[in-house]
Amino acid sequence: MKHKTLKTVLYIVLALLGVVTVFPFVWMVLSSFKTNNEIQSIVQTLLPQEAIVDNYLNLQQTFDFLRYFLNSIFIAVAVTVIVIYTSCLCGYVLGKYQFKGKNVIFGFVMMTMMVPWSVTIIPRYTMFMEAGLQDTYISLILPVMVSGFGIFMMKQNMESIPDELIEAARMDGSNEFQTFHKLVLPLCKNGISAIAIFQFLWVWEDYLWPYLMIDSEKKQLLAVGLTLFNGRYSTDYGGLFAATTISILPVIIVYVIFQKRFVAGVAAGAVKG
Amino acid sequence: MFKRRPLQSKSEIWMRNIAMGFLIIYMTIFLIVPVIIVVAGSFHQWNPLNQTYNWIGLDNYIRMFSYPTFWQSMANTVIFCVVVVIFRVLLGLAIAYALNSKLMKHKTLFRTIFYMPTVTPLVAVAYVWKIMYNPQFGLIDNIFGLDINWLYDSRFALIALMVMTIWKDFGYAVILFLSGLLSLPSDCYESASIDGANAWQTFRYITLPLLKPTMLFVVVTSIISYLQAYVPVLVMTTGGPGTSTYLSSYLVYDQAFKQYNFGFASAISLFILVLTAIFTVISFKVTGANEN
Repeated sequence: MKHKTLKTVLYIVLALLGVVTVFPFVWMVLSSFKTNNEIQSIVQTLLPQEAIVDNYLNLQQTFDFLRYFLNSIFIAVAVTVIVIYTSCLCGYVLGKYQFKGKNVIFGFVMMTMMVPWSVTIIPRYTMFMEAGLQDTYISLILPVMVSGFGIFMMKQNMESIPDELIEAARMDGSNEFQTFHKLVLPLCKNGISAIAIFQFLWVWEDYLWPYLMIDSEKKQLLAVGLTLFNGRYSTDYGGLFAATTISILPVIIVYVIFQKRFVAGVAAGAVKG
Repeated sequence: MFKRRPLQSKSEIWMRNIAMGFLIIYMTIFLIVPVIIVVAGSFHQWNPLNQTYNWIGLDNYIRMFSYPTFWQSMANTVIFCVVVVIFRVLLGLAIAYALNSKLMKHKTLFRTIFYMPTVTPLVAVAYVWKIMYNPQFGLIDNIFGLDINWLYDSRFALIALMVMTIWKDFGYAVILFLSGLLSLPSDCYESASIDGANAWQTFRYITLPLLKPTMLFVVVTSIISYLQAYVPVLVMTTGGPGTSTYLSSYLVYDQAFKQYNFGFASAISLFILVLTAIFTVISFKVTGANEN
């Protein structure tokens, strides 16, 4: 009897928290189909009185929002693929090899995770301006090719691969490059998924660096595009709802599809750390 | 346990040299050199727009410590960190504990929902919350029947930023504590129930100490990330009203890329770096990670 009430209370509390968590997203999506008059009216309803798609159409016509979306996907995918590769490579060497100075290098990688963006962004800005790399996509990719977090995650992942497997491949005469690409990489799917989603999200939401580096609007990324839109049409709330929906919803969909693998990857990195 | 085995084949040595060589060169260019530039820059009057770079010794630091907005931003950052981290840990731990209990089903569903805000892009989320805080037609005043101009009232603006951040980030703590709980050895619990410990005693004296490493991880990573928070400020308040929502990293952004006081901004950013290091060391000491 006591357990039953406890169970009901737990469910109600958690369900309430769940509603609070999801509600802003639901409200955002529903509001993106409302007219601006309705959004700003005194009487508020959750569902649109008359559902319209004009907010999305206008957004595309006046602002070419799809362009920012595609630019962001391109950069995010490119950076994510590179980071996965460098993290796996360094993680493999740091996790599976024994050599002098290994712990010093790994300790240094861990320390880099502590350095705030505010410390590196001023010199980085100066360096890239001096090198004449402003307004190029190289400037967006080059500084984020290596991730301390990624190396840390992959080192943990690599250490859990049994030495015997790698040894067996070596016995079969495969050299280290073949072993790494054909045997080790496919064994790290969980870690790779976790890094992939995190890294993708970091690039997707990064604001300041593309804002500083990219001048031409055609090359700009989504997060900066949002602020540009808001700066120009600050009272077009319907448009802003549509724009935020386009920036948020794809990420949620990808997350829901891959959430199992993702959660496993995140947890593996933290528990051992 | 694991055997120490020197690198044997040529291809292993090649592999190590390529990976570590790349890593060291990359870290030197994108981390060591920038830190040297920032340290040097903090002793200069440095404005890239009019090409000034003059040695002024400790003036940037002296100015920083006598600059009221700096202290305001520091106070805000400390309040922000402490409040958000406490809520993140308490909510995360409580929800994870509830989800972990045998009474609950649909764990995956709840976990997926609670983690959702964490994976969404912050700039977009901040815009949604900005409209939610709107006093005329925003969701929050409407639902709770309030009449508060959250983002334009200096009494509420920082609270508004903290509420949004807690909403966005608590799910991360849920996931970490949940996986921490799942990895705990079950034999401790069996012997505790044999000894007649009640639920609270079991939690206080067995679960909590065993969760120390997870707790440490959550607290340290939270503090490091909140010392760097600037997007909510940039999108929702731009530091206002007045200077009431300046966070220290937003101050760096403001000084560096709006006022172009690179030298002054460098000094502030180095102060944040030192703070980050201090907080990390304290967290390790307080949670007693050395015992493990």
